[in-house]
Amino acid sequence: MAVSFKQVTKRFADGTVALDHLDLDFELGEFVVLLGPSGSGKTTACRLLAGLEQPSSGRIEIDGKDVTNVPPRFRGIGMVFQNYALYSHKSVFENIAYPLRIRKVPAADIERSVRDVADLLRIGDYLKRKPAQLSGGQAQRVAVARALVWEPAICLMDEPLSNLDALLRLHMRTELNRLHRKLDKTFVFVTHDQEEAMTLATRIAVLKDGRLVQFDEPKTIYRKPANRFVAEFMGRPAMNTIDGMVEGGVFRAGAVACPVDRSDGPVTLGIRPEQIELAAASTPGAMTLTVDVKEAVEPDTLLIFQNSGGNAITLRTQANCDAIEAGQPVSLAFPKSALHYFDARTGQRVE
Amino acid sequence: MSKSWKILAFGILACVLVIALTPYVWILLTSFKGRLDILSPQPTWFFTPTFANYPAVFIDKEYLPLVFNSLIIACGSTALSIMIGAPAAYVFARTDFAGKEDLFFFFLTTRMAPPISIAVPLFLFFTTLGLTDTIYAVVIAHTTFNLSLVVWMMRGFFAEIPKEIDEAAMMDGRSKLGAFVRVIVPLAAPGLAATAVLCFIMSWNEFLYAFILVAFEGRPLTVGIPGLITPHGTLWGQVAAVAVVATLPIIVFTFLVQKHLVRGLTFGAVKG
Repeated sequence: MAVSFKQVTKRFADGTVALDHLDLDFELGEFVVLLGPSGSGKTTACRLLAGLEQPSSGRIEIDGKDVTNVPPRFRGIGMVFQNYALYSHKSVFENIAYPLRIRKVPAADIERSVRDVADLLRIGDYLKRKPAQLSGGQAQRVAVARALVWEPAICLMDEPLSNLDALLRLHMRTELNRLHRKLDKTFVFVTHDQEEAMTLATRIAVLKDGRLVQFDEPKTIYRKPANRFVAEFMGRPAMNTIDGMVEGGVFRAGAVACPVDRSDGPVTLGIRPEQIELAAASTPGAMTLTVDVKEAVEPDTLLIFQNSGGNAITLRTQANCDAIEAGQPVSLAFPKSALHYFDARTGQRVE
Repeated sequence: MSKSWKILAFGILACVLVIALTPYVWILLTSFKGRLDILSPQPTWFFTPTFANYPAVFIDKEYLPLVFNSLIIACGSTALSIMIGAPAAYVFARTDFAGKEDLFFFFLTTRMAPPISIAVPLFLFFTTLGLTDTIYAVVIAHTTFNLSLVVWMMRGFFAEIPKEIDEAAMMDGRSKLGAFVRVIVPLAAPGLAATAVLCFIMSWNEFLYAFILVAFEGRPLTVGIPGLITPHGTLWGQVAAVAVVATLPIIVFTFLVQKHLVRGLTFGAVKG
């Protein structure tokens, strides 16, 4: 089931532009994650695809068919809501069975389908309960079961894990991965959590201010961020971005000085915290910075340096840092292969 | 709470109870009194009860159909108010449109004028429609005040239901209307029932509009009572009998649904 957004713009009554000429295409069986900070338009994109909102302009197509003005019930899309939106007056069984009841599926088939999907989501024991008697994780599974029971081709999930506690979120993430592998369905998942996006997506669509910034596989997004925004959004801790100047093959910004293969001029240098190396002071290209804060996040250690240029620089390493204390000078090296360059003015990636 | 406060509280409650119940007990006793006992200048608590007042008014004066008129009017106006008011309240709870709050307030203003001020226009209005002296006129008239009650009460109840529930129902395959009728209304049922009970009581007890709009056919119990004020004097025993029949079902009914009524009025926490 190919889905495509064609020049979709959504302007709300109060004048906010939630989506600005969005073009996005993806294929059957993909797990697409719409990722962005709040206000980036990711939820709006999801609701437009569901049919719960109408675009101000542009078209949405499913399998080449224009569905822009098709009501939600004729789109063949299931949806999981952030607050689960279970029917509190119905039992779990009836909640899951509801889409089938509406479609007048014979009772015996309903029974079988509900049992199957409940087993798949491991909620078979709770079918007689009311939603109020479920824990957050169980309610979440019921919501997923209800969205999948009638086998829609596309399943939308609007921040489905954000109401769960951290441990449960990890667990549900794994379950969703398993589910996607098992069912040959298109999943569209909205989140602001880059880690969720990384682990779940076949492709991530990064949105900012209603525009698509980058749409790629997670590893490409991580390794080749399209601009400074994506670079700083993906990865934890975020990529270090340092504004500076290249003069005679050396990038300089405050205490940072490292050899680069670039012509002279202003540039923003990017390097991931885990790719900065602790080096001996004698290493060519090494620089010395003072440790501002040391955070032990076993098995890793985060060293945060205050650069005289302004930006803090974070280093993440698994090396033994017991000897390093805050306030102490440390020698670092930025390997050339790990460097990213962004246009100093536009923030776009430059190779 | 200390003991003395408790005694004081009970004392106040007892006073209120006596003040509230005395007229009712008096009416109840009067309905079983003979003419002489009623007119006695000394209040009599012990007397030989007579059951003559009830058949005299309900059989001989043919007041029995008035009970059904009251019932039809109260049920009719309640149903009409809910059918028109609940969807309106739902729109107020869910949709934003220009002038929404003004329109909402307008519904309340319909109750601000004293009922008597619109009684005459209402009468002329129904005369033009040819509906005076019919049950329909009273049903519609009672709907005018019950409608604002429904809209004001139900908006809050609907607003308590997360809008994702509507959307989930639409994703599950319902139309917008289907989502409202099949999912939202059942979820709001406790609030809807409480509102309906209040509408029913308001309409059942209403006198002024009914009195002006119907004289014979279709008059409810409340309008029947002034008919017992005759040139030969007021038939107090029969007035009391009608009053008892007009109030007792409501009192019993309210006691029966009391628990649900409280639950409905404090309705909320519809958790998904």
